[in-house]
Amino acid sequence: MFVVEFVLLMFFISIFAGIFGSIVGLGGGIVVIPVLTILMGVDIHFAIGASIVAIIGTSSGAASTYVRDKVTNLRIGMFLELASASGAITGAAIAAYTNSAALETIFGSILLVSLVPMVMKIGEDIPKSPELKGVSKRLGLTGSYTESDGRVVNYNSTRPVEGLAGTAVAGVLSGLLGIGGGAFKVLSMDLAMKLPMKVSTTTSNFMIGVTAAASAGIYFARGDVVPLIVAPVALGILIGAAIGARVLLRSRNTTVRKIFAVVLAVAAIEMILSALGVSV
Amino acid sequence: MNWRDPETMNVVIGKVLRYGVIFSGAIILLGAIGLAATNGLSDSSGMLTYNPNMIPHDNLDISLGGLVQGLTTFSPFSWIELGVILLIATPVSRVTISVFLFAAERDRLYVIITAVVLTLLLFSMLVTPFIPGFHA
Repeated sequence: MFVVEFVLLMFFISIFAGIFGSIVGLGGGIVVIPVLTILMGVDIHFAIGASIVAIIGTSSGAASTYVRDKVTNLRIGMFLELASASGAITGAAIAAYTNSAALETIFGSILLVSLVPMVMKIGEDIPKSPELKGVSKRLGLTGSYTESDGRVVNYNSTRPVEGLAGTAVAGVLSGLLGIGGGAFKVLSMDLAMKLPMKVSTTTSNFMIGVTAAASAGIYFARGDVVPLIVAPVALGILIGAAIGARVLLRSRNTTVRKIFAVVLAVAAIEMILSALGVSV
Repeated sequence: MNWRDPETMNVVIGKVLRYGVIFSGAIILLGAIGLAATNGLSDSSGMLTYNPNMIPHDNLDISLGGLVQGLTTFSPFSWIELGVILLIATPVSRVTISVFLFAAERDRLYVIITAVVLTLLLFSMLVTPFIPGFHA
């Protein structure tokens, strides 16, 4: 394949990745990695290097819109980043003593199982807001945003410790494998903290850039960030994220949850296949 | 701008992210155009081969001197590298500026939280790649 063909092909695929990644709060890596490894025959190491850049691009590209329009909850994001950043360092520290196939099987299975509560809540627009108390109250983990139809949604959060724990798992996974953090972040905010779906995915989207940046140094140092791959990926992702952010703001919580459930299933299957030796 | 108003934080962080993305994207675009212009009709597989016996891979000179030299000689690879570094720096600057924004809001608890996040982030990015036994 000519360089120019590769660049254009990856550019257009990455637009698609950016749109989906910014809506579900997982970043574009979930699309970019299997495309590179299966379709393009690129080694998984280079694919993960590209995925890190894709996640940072999706995060910053879409968050600029989400933060301005106050759908992202900044305080919840910053608070949970304590756990994701600590988790990323822990993941890096224990990487030598872990078996990545076993980890992928475990975490892929957890994601599959978490589809059940996700599907049970499939019609939920705005969750019944819990009472704000204890640590959540002290930390101000509450907020409001305006839907595209002008409705103001006020919400509180609950179970901050469970939220932190789930996010720490996300961080460890990112530090260990370079992938897979976003899904656990969204699940923590949705299932444990009871936030509206759009707040969960956009706050995850806000955080994944920091988690990916925390792991970026090692991929850079190893030379896994390949200019030919990351240039079209970054450009496509940034355009896709700008489109995806506009789509999310106009979408209903129920729509976002349905898209998330599908992407979650794909992510879980990708992870389990990877454990079985299929390079995705 | 009223720095004690919590809304200010959304405006400023939104702008930091937007400008970071536009600036880094523009530089990567320049590099990508240069790459297509100079190497567009070469075979891409040569640049995509992973060699497990060669880590770090030499597709990028990650030293500062190498980067500066590449930039001054208009190497498209170095310009892409610069753009990617700026893209990675965008969330880092977002966290850094948040520390000051929370300070302006007189929110001491979140100044501490954000400062800890920034410390962890910089440690993870810049120090752990050089600790033996990390990242296996």
